[in-house]
Amino acid sequence: MVQRELMAILEVFFFPGFLFLFSLAFFIEWFDRKLVAKFQNRYGPLYVGPKGILQPIADFLKLLSKEDITPAMADKVPFALIPLLMLTFSMTPLFCIPITGSSALISFEGDLIVVMFIMTLTALLSFLGAWVSTNRFSTIGGVRTGLQMFGYEVPLNIVMIGPAIGAGSLSISGIVEWQSRGVWFIMTQILGFAVFSLCLLAHLQRVPFDIPEAETEIVAGWLVEFSGKKLALIRLAKNFELVLAASLMVSLYLGGPTGTLLPNPLTFLIKLVFCTFILSNLRALFARYRIDQFLAAAWKYLIPLALLQISLVEVSLW
Amino acid sequence: MVKAIDIPFGPQHPALEEPINFTFEVEEERVVDVKIRLGYIHRGIEKLAENRTYHQNVYLVERICGICSFAHTTCYTQAVEELLGVDIPERAKYIRTIFCEMERIQNHYLWLGFTAKAMGFETLFMYTWRDREAMLEVLEMISGKRVNYGMNTIGGVRRDITGKMVERMEERLNYLEERANYYKKVCTKERSILKRTVGVGMLEPSDALNLCAVGPTLRASGIPQDVRADEPYAAYGEIPFRVVTYDGCDVASRILVRIDEIIESVKMIRRALDGMPQGPIRVKVPKNVPKGEAVSLVEAPRGEDLHYLRSDGSDRPARLKVRAPTLANLPSLRKMLKGVNIADIPIVIAGIDPCLACMERVILVDTKSKKGQAWSGEELWRYANEWYRES
Amino acid sequence: MAALNLNRIRRRLKGRVQEVFVQRERRIFIRVAEEDLRETVKTLIRLDGFNHLATITGVDIGPAIELIYHIIYKDAVVSLKVQVPKESPVLPTITDLIPGAVFYEREIQDLLGVKFEGNSSSSLFILPDGWPDGVHPLRKEWTLGRISKKVRRLW
Repeated sequence: MVQRELMAILEVFFFPGFLFLFSLAFFIEWFDRKLVAKFQNRYGPLYVGPKGILQPIADFLKLLSKEDITPAMADKVPFALIPLLMLTFSMTPLFCIPITGSSALISFEGDLIVVMFIMTLTALLSFLGAWVSTNRFSTIGGVRTGLQMFGYEVPLNIVMIGPAIGAGSLSISGIVEWQSRGVWFIMTQILGFAVFSLCLLAHLQRVPFDIPEAETEIVAGWLVEFSGKKLALIRLAKNFELVLAASLMVSLYLGGPTGTLLPNPLTFLIKLVFCTFILSNLRALFARYRIDQFLAAAWKYLIPLALLQISLVEVSLW
Repeated sequence: MVKAIDIPFGPQHPALEEPINFTFEVEEERVVDVKIRLGYIHRGIEKLAENRTYHQNVYLVERICGICSFAHTTCYTQAVEELLGVDIPERAKYIRTIFCEMERIQNHYLWLGFTAKAMGFETLFMYTWRDREAMLEVLEMISGKRVNYGMNTIGGVRRDITGKMVERMEERLNYLEERANYYKKVCTKERSILKRTVGVGMLEPSDALNLCAVGPTLRASGIPQDVRADEPYAAYGEIPFRVVTYDGCDVASRILVRIDEIIESVKMIRRALDGMPQGPIRVKVPKNVPKGEAVSLVEAPRGEDLHYLRSDGSDRPARLKVRAPTLANLPSLRKMLKGVNIADIPIVIAGIDPCLACMERVILVDTKSKKGQAWSGEELWRYANEWYRES
Repeated sequence: MAALNLNRIRRRLKGRVQEVFVQRERRIFIRVAEEDLRETVKTLIRLDGFNHLATITGVDIGPAIELIYHIIYKDAVVSLKVQVPKESPVLPTITDLIPGAVFYEREIQDLLGVKFEGNSSSSLFILPDGWPDGVHPLRKEWTLGRISKKVRRLW
């Protein structure tokens, strides 16, 4: 009895809980930075730890120690709350991702919908963050975040339903379970996978869709007034979002932690790194789009493609 | 419907490498009006020049700009040499031509990276700046410095290009030409670049002429005006070359004009190295300059550079007037910016290749701003303290 | 080439010019009176090969301020000189003829104190905010020492 509770606590706090997720977030950030640097013919992080692997942690600690400024005109309480909420919202869905086996820490029928919902909430939070910081750049960034959401949210959610229909389950664990029988959804729904990756890039606000925080245009967009601890938390939250995005790709399309001869967590990690590779690669390849161009592209191409994919799935099931 | 808001852009802004302030009145994502406030790096060089001797001024003029330093010194020394009635040796003319073109290559590579950064294409930025190093290495090998070469002097140049250097230069030039061809391919084929540049920041030829645009900005509007061709200075009269023009009138054309100019410059340097005569590289000149005045023109990487020099017969100039190309392009920039998207502001600004240090021997403000909207340092300090109070 | 242009300029400008001389190939200097400035510019920009106005140079020559309009042609550079007395330095603007001249005129207004009718503003353009009135740095009476004394007192 005690042993079981102890195990549960260990699972929540160490593996695959908080500690593991934190290290994963930092590791994925390092991997992303190093990879993009390689693509761009640079070195990337180099000094902290072997090959700079501890650099993200150093950066995080550095930001924590920096001066934390709240603009006088800002709405103080939400301004302080938003980084915390962002961190929570980006970390919570990760508990629904199966890492050790085909079942996650938290798993119930419909958790896919919850994950979708929370992902939308993080986008709304960044809009709110822009609004309460009352800066002109962040206002524009916030408006752009909102507009961008109208573009990617619909196709993103449509294609996420694809694997759910295929597996006949609305829980991520159920989808992984179905895939562990041999067929990964990337084989049957390659179109959905492509649309999913693009929408995730938009969700993560990364090049070519880093429109809401476009550095050279609106400085840092909605992030502009956040500093010190708040910025550190937001950046950590962004790392978690990256991990979440990659692990959703793994779980929904690549069969989750199952499917190879290696131990489950290791399989998961390898697939995760692969998905991060895809996301980073796309980031290094393009110039930034304009918000109107992105919206036009999303409604003209992404949504029809997503709908096509869903219809194909339906037809194949029939 | 969003109410029109004013967006400050600079003096410190990630898209600007130098301080300048634009205030954009923005409706939704469109720019309705632009106000320009300059003067954050005014150094009073024209006044200083009147207090220094002609030889000291060579070094002062070199420091007008870090990137097109050679164009400025060439322009200045030409003016002094004209007043002195000195004809510089042929070899010096060739070396000046070669340096002018090398400077153009490194400037255009720098600019290409800067523009890529402005449109959020970091990879291209990293690549072009890496390749620019090849040119800087050559410049360092010959002159000892990467920028501000200290090569020009009144009556010639200070260092010679030896046979061994020529070998290494040729190797580097091949590399740079190959890369330029590659970037041309990238900039004409890559969809996300085309989306951001084609039809953006339009400047009709008639406007370009009316607003006195110069250099690549003008040539991208289809007008073949180039000081090197119209008024061959140094050895340009003896080296055949093509004046690159494109008639797209947009940022895409400005990119292509500059990439083509890199390729053209490489060819020109090769021709100059082949045809370079032997002989001395400088002549001795007197300290005092006879009374008179001279207008000197040079095609700097960013466009036409004009120096006007007046001498009263002493060892110091009575007046040195410098008109750097960016100042000439500023009215056109204002025209281009009206009506663009916020997202396109950085790339349109980048499109004219602004070099504020060059331009800001003087300070300006938009004609339309009726009231002084800029603040004094003290006001700014107070405002900042009130705004950012730690809670 | 330059000679051809010169004859044409002479013919077109008729009696208005005070002096025309060719300094060397491609360099033509013209001197006109203050009141003829606009008419002369109007004529000059209609000549063949007109390209653009490069800049306006202002020079303090003691009792007067000399403005030099550098006009670039395909085959020559015409420098048009005008003098205005230092006590009442006012000239008509040429921005309606050449819109690109707007910043050059502003530059002169601050550095030399020449006012351009139709293109002037009471605020400072060239100099930092809080710059003392009447200090036009490019005028010869304002030596470096005098300027720095005046400015140091400000801060």
